[in-house]
Amino acid sequence: MGIFEGLINGFSIALQGYNLIFAFVGCLLGTAIGVLPGLGPAATISLLLPVVYKMSSPATSIIFLAGIYYGSMYGGSTTSILLNLPGEAASVVTAIDGYKMALKGRAGAALGIAAIGSFIAGTIGVIGLSFVAPPLAEFALRFGPPEYFALTLVGLLLAVFLSGSSIVKGLITLLIGLLLASVGLDPMTGKVRFTGGIIGLQSGFDFVTLAMGVFGIGEILYTLEQSLKGEIVTTKIGNVFPTIKDFIEAKWAIIRGSLIGFIVGILPGGGAVVASLASYAVEKKCSKKPEEFGQGAICGVAGPESANNAASSASFIPLLTLGIPANASIAMIFAALLIQGVTPGPFLVKEHADVFWGVIASMYIGNLMLLALNLPLVGIWVQLLKVPFGILAPAVVLFTCVGVYSIANDTFSIYTLLFFGLLGYFMRKLEFEPGPLPLAFVLAPIIENSLRQSLLMSGGSMAIFFTRPIAATLFGIFIALVIAQGLQSLRRRKRSEVSPEITTGEFNTAFVKLSTGNKLNGKG
Amino acid sequence: MYRKKAWRILGLLMVALLVLLIAGGCGGKSATQNNAPSQEKKEGTAATSGKYPEKPITIIVPYAAGGSTDALARAIEKVWTKYSPQPVMIVNKPGAGGVEGREFVKTSKPDGYTLMIGYGSGEDLIGPQLQKVPYDPLKDFTPIARMSIHSTIICVPGNSQFKSMQELINWAKTSKQPVTASVSTATGNVNITMRGIGKVTGINIVPIPHQGGAQAITDLIGGHTIVGGGSGNEVAPHIQAGRLRPLAVDLPERDPAFPDVPTLKEQGINFYSWGSVKGIAAPAGTPKEVVDYLAGVLKKVSEDPEFKESMKNLYQPILYMGPEEYQKFFKEAYDYFGKLIKDLNITLQ
Repeated sequence: MGIFEGLINGFSIALQGYNLIFAFVGCLLGTAIGVLPGLGPAATISLLLPVVYKMSSPATSIIFLAGIYYGSMYGGSTTSILLNLPGEAASVVTAIDGYKMALKGRAGAALGIAAIGSFIAGTIGVIGLSFVAPPLAEFALRFGPPEYFALTLVGLLLAVFLSGSSIVKGLITLLIGLLLASVGLDPMTGKVRFTGGIIGLQSGFDFVTLAMGVFGIGEILYTLEQSLKGEIVTTKIGNVFPTIKDFIEAKWAIIRGSLIGFIVGILPGGGAVVASLASYAVEKKCSKKPEEFGQGAICGVAGPESANNAASSASFIPLLTLGIPANASIAMIFAALLIQGVTPGPFLVKEHADVFWGVIASMYIGNLMLLALNLPLVGIWVQLLKVPFGILAPAVVLFTCVGVYSIANDTFSIYTLLFFGLLGYFMRKLEFEPGPLPLAFVLAPIIENSLRQSLLMSGGSMAIFFTRPIAATLFGIFIALVIAQGLQSLRRRKRSEVSPEITTGEFNTAFVKLSTGNKLNGKG
Repeated sequence: MYRKKAWRILGLLMVALLVLLIAGGCGGKSATQNNAPSQEKKEGTAATSGKYPEKPITIIVPYAAGGSTDALARAIEKVWTKYSPQPVMIVNKPGAGGVEGREFVKTSKPDGYTLMIGYGSGEDLIGPQLQKVPYDPLKDFTPIARMSIHSTIICVPGNSQFKSMQELINWAKTSKQPVTASVSTATGNVNITMRGIGKVTGINIVPIPHQGGAQAITDLIGGHTIVGGGSGNEVAPHIQAGRLRPLAVDLPERDPAFPDVPTLKEQGINFYSWGSVKGIAAPAGTPKEVVDYLAGVLKKVSEDPEFKESMKNLYQPILYMGPEEYQKFFKEAYDYFGKLIKDLNITLQ
């Protein structure tokens, strides 16, 4: 089936009544949970898995869940801008300049550019997805264990380089993630490891519990400790349509953000969070007025918001072609596909063409719906935020606990949730960027398995990683990255000898501010 | 300032309280659930008090939704109400590779309202002979009925040079090269089959374990391994599309879902296995009249045309057996796998 035939077929599925309804409900829910801090797309999707179970076709259920996922990328900006409190992780960067803009009385322009940027980027992302995924799926069969090992290793390393204020701390986080993942059954032999005799640990830590604890509970604990200054800037939202001047200023940021988002989104371990961080760094570098960043630069909103939307579409690519989920939410959609009897992987495009194209077509439609939901209706979403944080926080904790409990109907999950919440809290307090933790956790079994499988295949020889062209290329990139990063930190050290204030380098300053609490404590 | 601080402390307190409340509250509930069966286990009264069944019956699938055992459960659910006044509810309890779900059923009330499907899979016939599990597959469950057996279909990629098992074995013997084999897991039947073939033919088969059948099959189709295998529903679509070529089936007799594929024995390889047995069991101590009632319903289910149709689409042959027969079969298969594990010297590294 050609791409255009496929798309036409896809639209015929996506435009069916119930699919349209579920796409709309998904987008609506996505926006709502994007707006509400604490309850991210991963948590919501996990809560809705039982509902999906009862749906008649896999296409419908994925259309619904995908709508929640990319919808939350739109909604996330609202809270970041108005409350300085990111609705979900990928909107963390938006808070830096978006909230400043709101304080200056330009909340409307910030919200508007975020919605328009998201629409453009989302659409670019889906177009990319339609054209890149099918040929990539054909290609994906050539990925054996050595290639998977190389790919996941590079993905993890990229995530550390891109998301942390400190490489060392990033690597420590990564190692914690890998260690946590090794608890439970050995993925290859089924032997029990590191459970200390606790039955609840036999299946290992649950990914959703980990993500909810580190991001949800950890975030709330940290926020409560800080002064609760996040006043909602509701009085001065004003016109949500940005001026022509704003748009001209932001147009390249949107285009750059879309491209960065798309490329980062394809990488396993990429996803929306890394994309928005990368875009912010790039915008700051490209800007003629970098001093405006952190003070309310419109490009600092437009770039990351576009990037996270493009990435959310692009992150479907590794899922649908390789069967590798790039992030927490996609991991949930992976689970939903399995529930419906569809195994994501190189054969999905061929064997489940209706699912593949139906979901893609629904994304074109969903992006349009979201533009309508977000631009004129932003005032309604703001009403959601009038709930004081003192009430919202316990409510979110309640949702999180219920969500975690409902996954396996097991109280043990709530204790592990609490454990991960404390872990997340201390990580934030000690300025560790939590991003690489869940990522390492998801990718650990793939890394471990593919390494062991490769060595079994080669009879123990490491040459297998360098004699196969795809693996060798990937390792080439990996080594180049390590060298580049090494050079950068060397240069940085030299510079810091000259002027002691610049200790972290240009590229990372934004993230330092982030992790030192610029985003939530309201002091910055 | 002062007020703000008060709010902050209040908020923190509320969060802490809520977490404790929820954890404590749920803990209490599950504690009573766990205690209940131990008190009533000896009596097994609940079922005998009135007419069974009085309420919906829960069937635990000890795996995540979407697998072949889950699919079998759903196929049963679909036609169940034609033959029983109370419906069945399918509950997935994945975790610890099927161990947690089994433990849950073991500790449930033996009143016929909590059953397990997949009794006879690797976690019952193979796993417990390799490592300690919190249940005894022979003593902790009452077999009700065998529904199906998933054989392992041994395949090579569609573009492979090998057209039969003999060609593959001859090649391995003359070239002295190791034969890499995609297998689902180390405790799975495919692994045992591959090792068994290596043992009886004297060729060097290197099983490469994966995290499940789907991944093993994808690696095989990509040509990253020489041979591999999987259950019917895993390989059938690929066989039809020409991406895989079936060479043999590992059962003592041909698989009714793949009548054209010869057994290993037919090709002169003196080895067979019992595949993955898909039966239904209840906790030990379930009253006989309940077991007989359920076995009767399942017998009718196995003869239902709609059920036959779904099983055909799943490439799962229907191989029904009643309680007594199934218990005998189970013991036989268990001992056979025990002997294989010993002969092949299989251990978990």
